[in-house]
Amino acid sequence: MNRLCLMAAAAVIAAPAASFAADNTLTIGMTQSRTGALNVDSLAQQRGFDMWRDEVNAAGGIKVGDKRYKVQFALYDDQSQGSRVQQLYTRLIVQDKAQFLFSPYSSGLTATAAVISEQYGKLMIITGGAEPKTYELGNKYLFQIITPADHYLTGAVEALATKDPHAKVALVYSDDPFSKAVVQATRDQAKEAGFADVLDEAYPPSTTDFGPLVNKVISSGADALLGGGHYADGATLARQLYDQKANLKWVTLLVAPGDAKFATLGQAALGISVGSQWEEKATFKPQIGPTGAEFAKAFKAKFNEEADYHSASGYAGGLILQHAIEQAGSLDTDKVAAALNAMDITTFFGQCKFATDAKHHGLQVAHQMVLAQWQMKNGKLEREVIWPKAAATADILYPIR
Amino acid sequence: MRGGAPGGSAKHAAIVRRPFFWIIALVIAAFAVAPLLGNDVELRESLLLAAVYITLASNLNIMLGYAGYVNFGSIVFFGLGGYLCIYLMGSPGWPLVAAILVAGAGVSLLALLFGLGILRLRGAYFALGTIGVNEAVQAFVSNFDPWGGSSGIYLSTELFQALGGPMQALWSIYFLLVAVMGLSLYLSYAIKSSKFGLGLLAIGQNEDAAAVLGVPTALYKALAYSASAFLPAIAGGLYFFKSAFIQPTDAFDLTFSTEAIVIIMLGGQGTIIGPVLGGYFYEELRGWLLTSETFSHFQLVVAGVLLLLIVLFLPGGLMGWLHGRWPKLRRVLE
Repeated sequence: MNRLCLMAAAAVIAAPAASFAADNTLTIGMTQSRTGALNVDSLAQQRGFDMWRDEVNAAGGIKVGDKRYKVQFALYDDQSQGSRVQQLYTRLIVQDKAQFLFSPYSSGLTATAAVISEQYGKLMIITGGAEPKTYELGNKYLFQIITPADHYLTGAVEALATKDPHAKVALVYSDDPFSKAVVQATRDQAKEAGFADVLDEAYPPSTTDFGPLVNKVISSGADALLGGGHYADGATLARQLYDQKANLKWVTLLVAPGDAKFATLGQAALGISVGSQWEEKATFKPQIGPTGAEFAKAFKAKFNEEADYHSASGYAGGLILQHAIEQAGSLDTDKVAAALNAMDITTFFGQCKFATDAKHHGLQVAHQMVLAQWQMKNGKLEREVIWPKAAATADILYPIR
Repeated sequence: MRGGAPGGSAKHAAIVRRPFFWIIALVIAAFAVAPLLGNDVELRESLLLAAVYITLASNLNIMLGYAGYVNFGSIVFFGLGGYLCIYLMGSPGWPLVAAILVAGAGVSLLALLFGLGILRLRGAYFALGTIGVNEAVQAFVSNFDPWGGSSGIYLSTELFQALGGPMQALWSIYFLLVAVMGLSLYLSYAIKSSKFGLGLLAIGQNEDAAAVLGVPTALYKALAYSASAFLPAIAGGLYFFKSAFIQPTDAFDLTFSTEAIVIIMLGGQGTIIGPVLGGYFYEELRGWLLTSETFSHFQLVVAGVLLLLIVLFLPGGLMGWLHGRWPKLRRVLE
């Protein structure tokens, strides 16, 4: 009996306080990895969302028919762990009455959240989940802003092939869904390009000592290393490759070199390239929203930090949702989804168009990545676009050591 | 299923006549009914995690609370059960109930084999061994291509149609998990009331003395290890079916194991209701901290300090405190 009373009392305490959103606000729900391994990239993505929200609200809100809606976020910490993501997204939908959703950061968390968005029929804009499998399960409400994982290293393979068509390549990558999906595609692309695959090794995502692995790379006689994972492991791997004098001619890592903080590695960062979803120097002619330079300047003014592609994809995600809502003239999920399905637009982030067939719905099909490389300009490390040639701002630095 | 299936222990008429049997039934009924009142989906999600925690803690309690063996890697049962179930439901296309039963039985059998090996270890060595088993299984699964390696297995959300569409499926999964939680409590109770349970308690007190008195310690420990794997494996199957996605880092997350131990400490080890109180309050606390405006930025710190205080000042857990405060409760609440 006692137990029941306790349950009843606790249930009352836990019962949600009704959220009193004014009827001219639009709530978007998301989780952020404030703690845990994905913290750096997730924060960057969140800043993109935040900046978009603040700009929209400063301009009076999103125009829906003849009404204007201010944007507010409902936001929780997912601790970089899948176990809470579903509970939190359910809460965002049910209790916080989020009308639209943004994805968490990383493919794994996104896959977990995507199920909730489908179950509750809420539209989710995905800016941080590149793994394509998520879109092959018959969803209706997922929309991916970024290039899917299988193209992350395509540019690196193409660029390297122009310098050394018979390069010996080591694939060294984090053992997580995203990195594995990338490398699976890269393996075939490298073979097609005529490279010899001399090492193929996955490491646990939490690895902090790459010593033995770097020795393996050295003894494999590789010219080039392709791989990496997310920020923490990628930055450590780059530093240890330099410290142990691996003297590779070419290194392309996922994600990590795309962050402005990567420059703090100093000499170890020199020559390292990254498949990037967006670079400040890439010049797309936007049909909506700011230009790349305008975005980068405003971002720096707001956060006193350089924008990276996670921030850019976050901001672009907001921009595209806003455009779809305005096109639909409605907050109705199905109408906005229809507007997104029909969309083919270029923002500062690049082109955006979604697959609409049932087998790949929501997969990004138009956005293209660029390859950026850390180069020394006037004694300062800067990230230059080196591939594709049409978008290049500098020549390829090869060999890097 | 919604009420409180009495489980296999119902045949013990003596147990059914005791009030505690009905207290467990009330707990199950409360879990089943509370979210139904007002169709409270948010409460259901929270209670679902609580039910998973209670299932894990209650089964872990058989090893930890009764036999005194600290199993840090109990999550391996949960993860393997999840993998077996999701795999069977994927390409072979098995129905949910068949998949979870086979997952439960398979993992239980595997646990018996593992158990015969690592239960030769005692104390800290056993605890480390269990972590080793979890790590080894995770490493194996991460490289096992039929199970998707480290990318894991993705299920089509269309599978939810078999349970009446995604929204209804979430309710069905919830009720199944509550039933699994209920069965866990009855299993704990049945074991505690049996000669087998007495043997385990004796092992917990002094293993050598128990062996001298004729308790077949090796067999009992292996059986307890195997029995405590069955229901967590089923819970894993249901939990990951709900996610429609499983990957090694989620399936074999040691944090979950550690949380289960914390829950037992919080509730009171060796008791049956302890894991229920511990699991429920732990989930409410973490859920509240995570979503609170004030505490969400340092929720881990607050949770840590609170747990430290409880361990320091309530060494017997909540049940220890209740029993101390109202000694008569000892006879009713086990």
